[in-house]
Amino acid sequence: MTAVIQAVLNGAMMGAMYGLTALGLTLIFGVMKVVNFAHGSLLMVGMFSAYWLIKLTGMHPYLALLVVPPLLYFFGYFMQDLLIKPVFRAERQVREPLTVIIVTTGVWYVLDNLALMLFGAEYRTVRTAITGTSFTLGDIIVSIPKFSGFVISILTAVGLALFMKKTRTGKALQATSLDREAANLMGIDQYRIYNHAFGIGTAIAGIAGCVIIPFYYVYPSVGVVFDIRAFIIVVLGGLGSIQGAMIGGVIVGLIESVFSQFMPSTWTEAIIYAIFLVILFVKPSGLFGHKQDW
Amino acid sequence: MNTASFGRKLTGLLAAALLTAGLSTQALAQKSIKIGNVEPLSGPSASVGVQGKQAREMAIEEINAAGGIKSLGGAKLELVYADSKSDPTVGVSETERLINTEKVNIMTGCWNSAVTYPATQTAERYGIPFVVPVAVRDTITERGFKYVFRIAAKDSWWVRDQFRFLKDIQEETGQKMKTIAFVFENGDWGTGFAEKWRDLAKKEGYQIVLDEPYPSTATDLTPVVTKLKSANPDVVMLVSNASDAILLTNTMAEMKVKPKAIIASGGGHADPKFLENVAKNGLYLFDEVEWNTDVNKPGAKATNEKFKKKYGYDLTGESVDAYAAMYVIADALERAASTDPKKVRDALAATKLTTGPAMIVSYDGVEFDENGQNKNAGIVIVQVAEVDGKLDRVTVWPKAARRAGYTPVFPANK
Repeated sequence: MTAVIQAVLNGAMMGAMYGLTALGLTLIFGVMKVVNFAHGSLLMVGMFSAYWLIKLTGMHPYLALLVVPPLLYFFGYFMQDLLIKPVFRAERQVREPLTVIIVTTGVWYVLDNLALMLFGAEYRTVRTAITGTSFTLGDIIVSIPKFSGFVISILTAVGLALFMKKTRTGKALQATSLDREAANLMGIDQYRIYNHAFGIGTAIAGIAGCVIIPFYYVYPSVGVVFDIRAFIIVVLGGLGSIQGAMIGGVIVGLIESVFSQFMPSTWTEAIIYAIFLVILFVKPSGLFGHKQDW
Repeated sequence: MNTASFGRKLTGLLAAALLTAGLSTQALAQKSIKIGNVEPLSGPSASVGVQGKQAREMAIEEINAAGGIKSLGGAKLELVYADSKSDPTVGVSETERLINTEKVNIMTGCWNSAVTYPATQTAERYGIPFVVPVAVRDTITERGFKYVFRIAAKDSWWVRDQFRFLKDIQEETGQKMKTIAFVFENGDWGTGFAEKWRDLAKKEGYQIVLDEPYPSTATDLTPVVTKLKSANPDVVMLVSNASDAILLTNTMAEMKVKPKAIIASGGGHADPKFLENVAKNGLYLFDEVEWNTDVNKPGAKATNEKFKKKYGYDLTGESVDAYAAMYVIADALERAASTDPKKVRDALAATKLTTGPAMIVSYDGVEFDENGQNKNAGIVIVQVAEVDGKLDRVTVWPKAARRAGYTPVFPANK
């Protein structure tokens, strides 16, 4: 029994972090209707930024949260402004901007290979003050880096939801997400909102990087590992839905953790995909998704 | 070259000329004995290839400086390199080129099992002796070949030695281990090990309480570690790559999983990054390697220092076997007193090398069985321990090679 409770707890903690990696993806998709294939690479950039910051300055991993996300916000902001916006402009008439997908795929390859050139293919981990530490609740052991990651993930999701509801920019993001032409007519600068959406989405990948680095390792193509999960989670939870991403993440985390208590852990991957397919079949818009009208 | 040797060569030439005209002209022209080397000098395994190359060069320099092959009038050894790029096809075509164009007398290489397997087959077809220092796939010396000789231990012996060690250390300390758990990466390597573990564990009467493969790219190994915790085994055996070895060790520390012994299988656990990233979480872990810098063998320390001075890093298991291979070849040539492939082959088959510079290897000597496998080849077990406030890998087994003054910590986590 203890093992099952332990597995549920671990799954929920890990799942919240999967949700966090999916959050930026779902936000960018919700607002821009763009599948950002570079999302995993942006997460990798976040992880490498956190890695070097912690490694070189020896700072506490969570202090990096004050530096890395803002840095990545600007990275994302200008990436959209300089690379994606021109394509959008050129294809103004197109409802589903396919060329943008190719642009984000290009960014993915450029970033991964740039990292490969700069840092090499080796796996890097950084030993922080909290790596390998834990506390106990009765018989249950809670890993401190994962628990902190869980808390930060939830706070980020709640923060993003509040931001969307309460602030002007947030409302503008929502409006654009609902209908970009109408939002444009109401005086919202579509491309500026896209800049913000991309910036915020990238900043969240930065938060995820800071949260993951104390217990995981980074290498140039690490994004792929998280990316595949993030895509599943986003579709599972419903495209563009914040709570969908978090709950989808936790579902994946739980399957991974609990199911592997009863079968070889190599099988859980297949089960995740099977459940994903079933949900798509029953509710194609995902658990919390709206029926898309675009 | 003295006249006696010249005469012998001339006789050899005449005899050979009756059979094959092609081979004989080369024998006369030859001033040095060419050893063909196929190694991964570029591509993914290049670093290991270069390590082997440098170890060979040091050995050849020593052999030549000591007067070369005396029975052949002090003939010098010469290495001819070819880059396999870790590609079996390239390995085979380069082997053919070395034999046909470069006219090498002996072949050696190729480190990658996948390259060595077909390359040795090519050499066998041409009847050229092939000395394999390292390439672990069992079947390389299990095809009834006459010209293939392997210095290092084969795959199945790695597992055999893990269990031998486990038995010995229990006898030494009077501790009895009953339950055992296997955790391994689900690739070719891990599943291959696991298969042999199961057989041996059953044979030795251990109870297998967990048998768990995991994907090397897993983002989280906590599920595996949770399972390990509920299984609560005495001994855990691992096969891991670098990243997952680190992840696994740190997660085990987090989850306070403390078996009496952890026995790893080299690979990720032997990676220099491993200790750096797990620090004290890796304390008292046993790991299996071909060789360790502190093996208690005569000359090991001096040879390592010489190598380190020359190339700037320590010898590794692979390079020690490559180094020893050159002495095995020199020894065979000395006894064969000929470069005729058939005679060299027979001399190699009769090898019984137990002394000399090659004996820095962790095992007792080189002697080939009927398949060309070194009967004595073995592996050392090291333990991660704190020596003078620093984490180190200390050789503990075989007992003859154990670092002087060290007592293994067994069981750990009392």
